[in-house]
Amino acid sequence: MTGWHLDDDALRRYVERTDSLAEGASVEQHLLSCEQCRGRVNPAVDVIDLAAVWGRTRDTVEVPRPSVFERLLRAAGLPAHDARLVAVASAFRGGWLVSVVAVLGFAALAAAVGHARGMWLFLAVAPIVPCLVVASSYDPWLDPALEPELVTPYPMLRLILLRTIAVLALALPAVLLFGLVVHGEAPFAWLLPAVGFVAVVLAASTWVSPLRAAIAVSTVWLAVVWLLAARSGSPDAVLQARAQAGFLALAAASFGIFLVRRRWLHQLRPWR
Amino acid sequence: MVTASISLRDVGRTFGATRALAGIGLDLKPGVIGLLGPNGAGKTTLLRLLATALPPTQGQVSVLGLDPQVPAERTGIRRQLGYLPQEIGFPRGFTAFAFVDYIALLKEWTEPAARHAEVRRVLGLVGLPDLGPKRIRAMSGGQRRRVALAQALLGSPLVLILDEPTTGVDPEQRVTLRTVLAEIARTSIVVLSTHQTEDVAALCERVIVLDRGRIRYDGPVTDLVGQAAGRVWLADEPDPAAKVSWRTGTGRYRNVGTRLRDDVEHVEPSLEDAYLLLRGGSAENEPAGEAAS
Repeated sequence: MTGWHLDDDALRRYVERTDSLAEGASVEQHLLSCEQCRGRVNPAVDVIDLAAVWGRTRDTVEVPRPSVFERLLRAAGLPAHDARLVAVASAFRGGWLVSVVAVLGFAALAAAVGHARGMWLFLAVAPIVPCLVVASSYDPWLDPALEPELVTPYPMLRLILLRTIAVLALALPAVLLFGLVVHGEAPFAWLLPAVGFVAVVLAASTWVSPLRAAIAVSTVWLAVVWLLAARSGSPDAVLQARAQAGFLALAAASFGIFLVRRRWLHQLRPWR
Repeated sequence: MVTASISLRDVGRTFGATRALAGIGLDLKPGVIGLLGPNGAGKTTLLRLLATALPPTQGQVSVLGLDPQVPAERTGIRRQLGYLPQEIGFPRGFTAFAFVDYIALLKEWTEPAARHAEVRRVLGLVGLPDLGPKRIRAMSGGQRRRVALAQALLGSPLVLILDEPTTGVDPEQRVTLRTVLAEIARTSIVVLSTHQTEDVAALCERVIVLDRGRIRYDGPVTDLVGQAAGRVWLADEPDPAAKVSWRTGTGRYRNVGTRLRDDVEHVEPSLEDAYLLLRGGSAENEPAGEAAS
């Protein structure tokens, strides 16, 4: 028996494990010899919800760790559940993203070192990559769980738009990056065609599968670029303001069609 | 509390020139309802209509008193719906937990602790309580099917639509799943399509037989089995009078025929016998391009 006892603050620090090593050792030593203080320890410890602890323990084993892309989306302000729904699409995982960046990087490099021909390659490839990624983010061929996804209360329109915005948000840093290696207006000129093609794919996917729509759009664009390159030999035709305004109009009209026909997104269609 | 009910009035569905369903009229109440029929009879199309995945091209569908054609009401139905499609793929690299958790997110389980607890509950119901962290690709066919079933059970839905839920599932697990489904059917409508007549016999009080997009039988399982009484017999050789006969494990032939016979060794008919009898027991009744799944 000793003449002094633990004060409430010291006891609280001890049970909460917020005391220092030295203080903790001192309290332990005191408790060994003081029955009165030992009796105060148990009531001071909060009741532990074992089910909650077990739940958290299982979470660490079972809950998948968010991908880098998902963490980026959260950092950008998207709620955690929406970020997960966007990031699980095949288009945003591992190999897909790496291959997309590799294709764009190769095209940008070609444009940087290959003069006019390289510039054509860049303008041919860069605008179609976003629409291919958007299509693959909700195409049933790449998203095999479409049927159970479809009959949930989560609006398919919202899911598709979130994934589309995520693709376009990825494109912006790419523009800045490619601007470092590609000189002139080309690094920015592909943006409006890209937005236009994405909108065309969204609208067309209310009739046909998204991937088919994206492949069709890409084929037409590649043919147009090839014809322009063969005829004029200069990429100016794509860069001029009139062409850019055309792409903007294409984007607005296509997006309007997509919204008008959005009810078709909520059910299986014959192409399934 | 909403009482589970589904009604279909003269419902039909076509795909281009192909008629998958025609003149379907049904009233469904809580319980397990079995859906039988040959391949291409329209079972999957009917289940997709009930699950709001497909709209009908004719007639009226009402689920829980709501119209699936009205967007807000369709969302209301989907909040109370569990659906297991016939074919389900899993996103690459997903674990069982991640997949069910993903569908739970789409089903508006936004609070992580409650969602994770619910995911564990349904994985436990299908007999996979400890396989949450296992990659689905590394699972057997039966385990994958049970993961797919788990997502349908999220939130204890009032309407549960299951397209061949026990395909590839071993007998022990099938018995466990029957118990789970029977419990759910106390308050929910469970519609299951299957080729396993023993599942229907063990689980369903009502059976619907579809053939070429039309209802061929709708009533109690016992009544359907009763129709085969006196029409199933054993013999040492295949009986030419039988509609269908096959060699059993004992070496004798089980014959199912339409005519009542007195001069043969009758056996207790099973639901499979009754189904074969209803179907006519021959491949000539298979649909030829008119109906689609």
